[in-house]
Amino acid sequence: MSAFQNGAPPVRAIDDDSDVEEEALVADYREQVQFEDGMEELEPVTSLTMAQQTDDIQSRLAAAAQPLDFSAPLEVKFQSYDSYCSLFHFILNSEGPVDLEPPSYYWAWDVIDEFIYQFNSFSSYRARIARQANNEEEIQVLRDNPNTWGCYSVLNVLYSLIQRSQITEQLAAMKRNEDPMAVAGEYGSKSLYRMLGYFSIIGLLRVHTLLGDFSLALKTLDDIELNKKAMFARVMAAHFTTYYYVGFSYMMMRRYADAIRMFSHILVYVSRTKNFQKNAQYDSITKKNDQMYALIAICVAFHPTRLDDTIHTALREKYGDQLLKLQRGGPESLPIFEELFRTACPKFISPVPPDFDHPEANVDPIEHHLSIFMDEVKTNMFNPTLKSYLRLYTTMDLNKLAGFLEVDSEELRSWLLVNKQRSKQLRWSDQALLEGDLVNVSDIDYALQGDLIHISEAKVGRKLVDWYLRNLARTYA
Amino acid sequence: MNGEDPQERPELIKNIINGLERYNPEAAGTLESYLQEQCDQKFCDASANRALLKLYQLNPDRINNEAITNTLVKCMTLFPSPQFDLALHLLSPAIANPSAANAGSSTSELAEAVAKLRALNAQLEGAQYARFWATMDSDDLYADLTTDIAGFEEMIRVRIAQLVSQAFREVNLSVLEAWLGINDEAEARKYVTEACGWKVDADGVVQIPRNPENEAKKAEIREYVNVDMFSRVIRRAWEAAA
Repeated sequence: MSAFQNGAPPVRAIDDDSDVEEEALVADYREQVQFEDGMEELEPVTSLTMAQQTDDIQSRLAAAAQPLDFSAPLEVKFQSYDSYCSLFHFILNSEGPVDLEPPSYYWAWDVIDEFIYQFNSFSSYRARIARQANNEEEIQVLRDNPNTWGCYSVLNVLYSLIQRSQITEQLAAMKRNEDPMAVAGEYGSKSLYRMLGYFSIIGLLRVHTLLGDFSLALKTLDDIELNKKAMFARVMAAHFTTYYYVGFSYMMMRRYADAIRMFSHILVYVSRTKNFQKNAQYDSITKKNDQMYALIAICVAFHPTRLDDTIHTALREKYGDQLLKLQRGGPESLPIFEELFRTACPKFISPVPPDFDHPEANVDPIEHHLSIFMDEVKTNMFNPTLKSYLRLYTTMDLNKLAGFLEVDSEELRSWLLVNKQRSKQLRWSDQALLEGDLVNVSDIDYALQGDLIHISEAKVGRKLVDWYLRNLARTYA
Repeated sequence: MNGEDPQERPELIKNIINGLERYNPEAAGTLESYLQEQCDQKFCDASANRALLKLYQLNPDRINNEAITNTLVKCMTLFPSPQFDLALHLLSPAIANPSAANAGSSTSELAEAVAKLRALNAQLEGAQYARFWATMDSDDLYADLTTDIAGFEEMIRVRIAQLVSQAFREVNLSVLEAWLGINDEAEARKYVTEACGWKVDADGVVQIPRNPENEAKKAEIREYVNVDMFSRVIRRAWEAAA
């Protein structure tokens, strides 16, 4: 991204919706997929050599990356936890680094992904059992084993993998354009550790988001650069997951412009690669894909902006009706915000075991986070109406406008202040994810002189470059 | 973000929140006294306070009610900002959103305090400043909850004045009086002229100096074009020719 950002004023550069970045990624991915196609012919040979060295550990490595059946009984969930513990113990606490090659380049991602997925679904399951309070047998088992799939042990695994692999140091060296191997150490120079460490960082992003710590989630990615050279870009699912969680965390921090940028980037990428996606990975992506469109709809309601054409069309197809209601605002929009949030949010969890003695005291964490999010929605729900009126005038009397809107003038002053305050947003510009510049993101600005409102609307010039490039490509491709 | 990473943060706290020490339940004590320091010395380190809330989230047996409410009140002084919400997200649902079934009879004292602070914060976020002061006066509990935070009312007042100056060029003194929670015209006049440095004219209209925020200047958003955007087209043309 930096290449074409040089020299551009930072705020505009982000706004720039040229798609050079996505294009480069798509090209990369196509190459990679074709490369794999070539590899398939060689596979019999590879698996033969693999067969010779197949031993217990290789099958354990493979098993760790296998999804657990959704309906697996509690006992199997406990066993699965134990086998992860012993595998990670073996990898982390053997004498010196273990001499193993990961079975594939995406194995490390699959392991971390599955590990967190199981932690997530176990916690949700445990909370549900506590709320329903009708399965005495399982309640007893869960009561007796409060530390199975405990939050501290999951965090411990992720942080240990990060530390062992010196991945933070390696990424910092890469940022300085130095050789990461120089700081990788005995463990980190092995691809098994490096990959596990790297994907553990993305795992942490996910765990922090699941626990509702959105700023810590973004801070975790300080060392990872979100661009086409990122290691995660090679593994489609990792790439996708990262952008979903980063975008979601931005949304929860009221940084809607940044959230939209994240979701748009990955959705454009997915829409361009779907023609040469052949594996099952793609199916699992479809659901998250729709979730991200729902989140974009929410963000656009807070922060009206021009979207990429592809995204805009798909959004209208999937959530056209809802988007219209969200953009209209008012109390009628509240149920739509709730509906979209529930379908699109991560499956939030509580880090501690539920209160089995008081089933009714266990509130679903999703409802908890939703209710806090809705506070901000309610504060902002009159912005669309207000803006639609302000757009019509250059000066306006406060009391007259209050009459149109059927509110008293004190109420209207509050609306005006709220809308004005929310027109400034922290926006990322080439620093760490949590950083940003406070910029004005609204196309309408106003000031009050007593009861007289002075309004000015920003004139948005037509954006032609993107259109021009697209048509050039279409004509001469 | 406002109050996110203040300069006042000492080395010791930096080491805790940037390292694994942030997960050590023993660190709660240090973070609690740092919170106390923030309350006394009128600065806010929202990031460090969230590390404390996170420790409570992971170790509910450590929970200190006062530290939770003080953190929330500190966040409130930063309005409008997502800080208060970010702190709420880290509280257990039983504290921040006690279920309807559980409400009334067995709601804890802490849950009740959090609910009150949440309503108060919503008024600040919604720019209902007159209502905020009325709520503050409606129950002694609010005074109890904010008593640990030195200069709480003053900080809120300064913040409101700041926000007013970003939206208004002129405003009636009577409106400001209510917003600043000063129920006396002479005192309000004194506050506006002395603390804010604004002028009040003969008709009781407060004149606020021009600043970039209350100008509402016309802006034109133009497309920024540079050569790099055309690099692929140019390269393709070059390759086709060669």
